[in-house]
Amino acid sequence: MYTLLIVQLAVSGALMGMVYALVAYGFQLTFATSKSINFGQGELVMLSALFSLTLIDTGLPYWLVVPGGMLFGAALGLFVERAGVRLALEQKSEGWILLTIILGLLGFSTAENIWGRDDRPFPTPIPSDPLHFFGIDVTPLELSVAVGVLTVMGLVELFKRKTLLGKAFEAVSADRDAAQLMGISATRTIQLSYGLSGLVAAMAGILVAPITTVGPTMASVLVLKAFSVAVVAGLDSGFGVVLVGLFLGALESLTSFYLGSGWREAPGLVLLILALAVRPNGVFGKATIRKV
Amino acid sequence: MLTVENLHAGYGTSEVLAGVSLQVKAGTVVALIGANGAGKTTGMRAISGMIRPNRGRVLLDGRPVQDLDASRVARLGMAHSPEGRKVFGPLTVEDNLLLGAYCRLPRFFGFRARAAADLEGIYALFPRLRERRQQAAGTLSGGEQQMLAIGRALMAKPKVMLLDEPSMGLAPVIVQEVFNTIRRLKEAGITLLLVEQFAKSALEVADYAYVMDRGRIAIEGTPAHLREDERVLAAYLG
Repeated sequence: MYTLLIVQLAVSGALMGMVYALVAYGFQLTFATSKSINFGQGELVMLSALFSLTLIDTGLPYWLVVPGGMLFGAALGLFVERAGVRLALEQKSEGWILLTIILGLLGFSTAENIWGRDDRPFPTPIPSDPLHFFGIDVTPLELSVAVGVLTVMGLVELFKRKTLLGKAFEAVSADRDAAQLMGISATRTIQLSYGLSGLVAAMAGILVAPITTVGPTMASVLVLKAFSVAVVAGLDSGFGVVLVGLFLGALESLTSFYLGSGWREAPGLVLLILALAVRPNGVFGKATIRKV
Repeated sequence: MLTVENLHAGYGTSEVLAGVSLQVKAGTVVALIGANGAGKTTGMRAISGMIRPNRGRVLLDGRPVQDLDASRVARLGMAHSPEGRKVFGPLTVEDNLLLGAYCRLPRFFGFRARAAADLEGIYALFPRLRERRQQAAGTLSGGEQQMLAIGRALMAKPKVMLLDEPSMGLAPVIVQEVFNTIRRLKEAGITLLLVEQFAKSALEVADYAYVMDRGRIAIEGTPAHLREDERVLAAYLG
């Protein structure tokens, strides 16, 4: 019975960890093309969730709210690129760090002013009555998180591998100068990566919202852990983030069971420090293939 | 086809090119030779838009392109195969070639079918690339990577092709192969600006040549003319 409880906790935690994986994947997308990431990604997750909630309030059906929210996230991603990141990259400076943090804070204030400070429930048609698998309870809601995350990541990977635009995306990631010589605009590709990053971040927000409730602070801790996942897995690890996400989710759930819920956020940070000390390229980081 | 007028360029405050003018007529091979550090590669980079010139003009088919970004210059028909080859290491050989034709292929679907005939042409020219089409480009040997870099530039069907140091770091046998390839490009009527450290071999394939020295064109002329010039003989053809 006790073992079953442990497994139960690990599974629930792991499914939540998939959300970290998706946000971490968003970090990877922009890092690949521009070696920059949006430090306001958490606010992007939160704003997209709040926007989706507003869409629900207007009576839009759920299957239209999801793409609506994702498009909103993509638009925010494009905005962050245009209003912040590009200015810094054009001057080859690291100013994007500060600029994305500032844009994030701006997003936070905007959210507080428009939607208020309170956390609100996020209605969903997906039932939360548990299903039983070998004595473990899993709710369809939790499952929808895993399915949603894998679907979005799978579609983006398919785009990168099967379309010429996607291959151009990979080319810019591999060698920006050489890609430009093929007529591929690095600026446009970086823009695209920020749009996609915003899209997946919005999806993460929509998936997690029914479980955590929605409010301006909903993603501030989530994004920190997603960052841990991205660094631990490696910022170029592709699906490596899924494994690390699952692992961290399970670890958190067990930590809060054994040490108390106050310790819930600790494993992610410890993991981050360990990764930076031991494997800065990430557990699944690729060694660059290069022959001179 | 390509005209460069009084080009000044450099990195930061140091000026590497101090007024370079040259011309590449359609269907000809022009060689740019000179000692290490003379500014040959910087010249190529300034022509293709990888660095922005401080002064001067670059005319591609009569159209000024010196203020355009490298990707726009490429779309107007200049294919620059850069120094160090710069193939996309993690991508397959075939993907590298497809990206060479990026400008003229559909972005989403059907690009493979559209490029099939051209790919076939490249594979006929470089059978080794066909054998390795599904291999990551980063795992190829230096010579194979050079073939791929040339093939990738050809896929663009460029008006003019810039080829920077194709023999760099290659074994003598492979260098011979590279020059054979250049000869075949010439026979096919490709307009080519070639930067080479092997001045002798470069002069054998070129229709016209420029010798660079400290950021300027020191001497120019037909290969026959240059071979008789004592300065060239002394400095480069020994």
